[in-house]
Amino acid sequence: MTAVTSDATGTPRWLTPSPRNWRLALLIAVVAIPGSIWLAPGNVAFWISFVAVSAVTLAVTINAWGRYPGPLLVAPAIALLFVMNIFPLMWSFGLSFFRFRVNRQAPPRFAGLDNYEKILTDPTVWDRLQTTALVVVFTVAIQMIVGFLLALLFEKEFPGRRVLLMLVLTPMMLSFVAVGAFFRFYYEPTFGLLSQAVRLFTGEPFILLKTPAGALAGIVFADAWMWSPFVMLLVLAGLVSVPKYLYEAAEIDRASWWRKFRTITFPYIRSLLLLALLFRTIEAFKLFDIVFLITDGGPGSSTETIAVYVFRVSFQFFRTSQSSALAYFILFIVIVLTNLYLYFARQRSQEA
Amino acid sequence: MSILSVTGAEKRYGSINALAGTSFEVEAGEFYCLLGPSAAGKTTTLRAIAGLETLDAGRVVFDGQDMTGQPVQGRDMAMVFQTFALYPHLTARQNLEYPLREAGHDAGEIRQRVGEIGELLRIAHTLDRKPSTMSGGEQQRLAIGRALIRRPKLLLLDEPLTNLDAKLRHDTRAEFKRLHRELGMTIVFATPDQLEALTMGERIAVINEGWIVQIGTPRELYAAPADRFVGTLVGAPTMNLLPAAGSDGKVALPFGEIGNGPWSKTLADFPAETELLFGFRPHDIRLAGPEAGPALRVDAKVHLTEPLGDITVLDLEAGDAVFKMVLPEEEAVQYRVGDRVAVEINPDKTLLFARDTGAAIR
Ligand SMILES: Nc1ncnc2c1ncn2[C@@H]1O[C@H](COP(=O)(O)OP(=O)(O)O)[C@@H](O)[C@H]1O
Ligand SMILES: [Mg+2]
Repeated sequence: MTAVTSDATGTPRWLTPSPRNWRLALLIAVVAIPGSIWLAPGNVAFWISFVAVSAVTLAVTINAWGRYPGPLLVAPAIALLFVMNIFPLMWSFGLSFFRFRVNRQAPPRFAGLDNYEKILTDPTVWDRLQTTALVVVFTVAIQMIVGFLLALLFEKEFPGRRVLLMLVLTPMMLSFVAVGAFFRFYYEPTFGLLSQAVRLFTGEPFILLKTPAGALAGIVFADAWMWSPFVMLLVLAGLVSVPKYLYEAAEIDRASWWRKFRTITFPYIRSLLLLALLFRTIEAFKLFDIVFLITDGGPGSSTETIAVYVFRVSFQFFRTSQSSALAYFILFIVIVLTNLYLYFARQRSQEA
Repeated sequence: MSILSVTGAEKRYGSINALAGTSFEVEAGEFYCLLGPSAAGKTTTLRAIAGLETLDAGRVVFDGQDMTGQPVQGRDMAMVFQTFALYPHLTARQNLEYPLREAGHDAGEIRQRVGEIGELLRIAHTLDRKPSTMSGGEQQRLAIGRALIRRPKLLLLDEPLTNLDAKLRHDTRAEFKRLHRELGMTIVFATPDQLEALTMGERIAVINEGWIVQIGTPRELYAAPADRFVGTLVGAPTMNLLPAAGSDGKVALPFGEIGNGPWSKTLADFPAETELLFGFRPHDIRLAGPEAGPALRVDAKVHLTEPLGDITVLDLEAGDAVFKMVLPEEEAVQYRVGDRVAVEINPDKTLLFARDTGAAIR
């Protein structure tokens, strides 16, 4: 409608130059930016694009000022999200259909589904996925069990509970790099604590990371150490939400410990357990930092998870577009996993 | 034979003395009421009997066995909580089955008992629903059913009617009496409502601030309260209390002198001008007849009328004193606010309390 309304001189409103006419600014930007990139040298094109984008932003802001305060307030966040997240996401998605390497001058060439075909037929990818699955199964299982037991422990009041709880929660708040570095020293053959402790008994230094199984165990232990508290926190939230009088009623009804747990406690923590499982599985699937720092995928490539492999493909082999395809493949797996869990979660809560 | 005895029970929570030496005995098969205002210690008492609370001092003996410090499971009792404490994730049927599950009953018997209780408490139609989908009354009956199904020797009820609306409360009172008669179990019933205690209790223990103030039948509590607290707690409308002074076996009231109550003999030994509280129930005042009797005659003015349907409560003013009387509706219609009315206080039913301690004098 606005496009056809005209002012006194007969020009359509969206063509009238004014500081608040963001449509006109957008039109100019859409023409000017590709034009300058195509025709002008790089540095000039950059400044032209910069001015055009600024002009559009300014026009939109002036237009919205006082009229749409709500949208105007969230606009910076959305703009940042778009520039930092959504745009790179789309860009890399587009890139996955091209042939492109960032360390070459050659412009991207369209390649259709070539990259996807390549990664799906690549035995290395499947091998890395297997390694990842192994890590995920072990670390998540340990985290769930340890976190659950810790929660049972911390549910009760005992002297020093608060201090101990704080200590137990610390690993979760450390940065991955700190944890990785810490465990690398911990497993270190000559002066690492683990090695020294074993040497007390055997007289030999102990190199945990020497064997594939040992390296896997080392990674799983570090990750479980870091994230069991997270599971504990979720389960604990469920446990403390159980009304006390239900346990008292069950006591009077002479229920066994197991019955109380099954009929009273468990319903309150079921959904939280599922949530913990979901979170931890997805996170473990993307496990990168700890592996990279502790074993760097070694020995050989026995502990190279899919995330580490993506890193290698993109930043060591510089197969940029292929790594994009691989990243999208992983994203797809994660989405499928998520939806599976949500499906089961919903199924269970409907039964209950 | 008393089936339950609580002796010198004490329990403190920090600086609060929830129980301060509570003692009472319950006979087998009795409907026993614990009557007291909120925070009197009723719940704490019941919880101590059930074993959910460990006492700081005192003993609980149940069925000939000292239960003090024993685990909850060992006691053949059931309890209905003030909040019902139904298992929210189980159906009504599963809630009912719950106490039977661990006891090794076979499936057929469990089903039969659930059916019986469902019929008895009229919740058979809700058995496959979750408690949250049931009405307040149904939830309450389910909670009672869960307590009854194991057929315990002793049933503890903690204000089971407080969460119900007035109509349902009335019906359930009758239902409790019926259940008690039919099942013949011993019941300890905690309530802050004197009407519930008077209508249901065979004996009532009045509890206040962790103390048993008086134990007696409803009639005893009504006619001869041990102190001012029981006197004003029991009976509705509340007993009239007027400040008075006693001398020489007689009591001086704002509107006259009265000397022939059940307390006359005792009062004669008191020093002159003892500070007293003179109590008489609104039901024990009558419109004055033509000839003077032994009753104390008072000329009063109508201050306020409260029609309650079949009866009307009149607030009367005489001298500086204001007191209530109850009249049948058809007699009360003739009085308007400001009218003069002559009434008689029956001296036999009057009560006297010491003003400082509140203890009854008789
Ligand atoms: N768990 C508790 N912690 C602290 N104070 C409590 C606790 N339970 C009861 N009390 C206190 O003890 C007193 C008696 O409580 P309760 O037995 O619940 O009274 P009632 O059931 O007669 O209302 C109250 O003052 C109450 O505040
Ligand atoms: Mg209570």
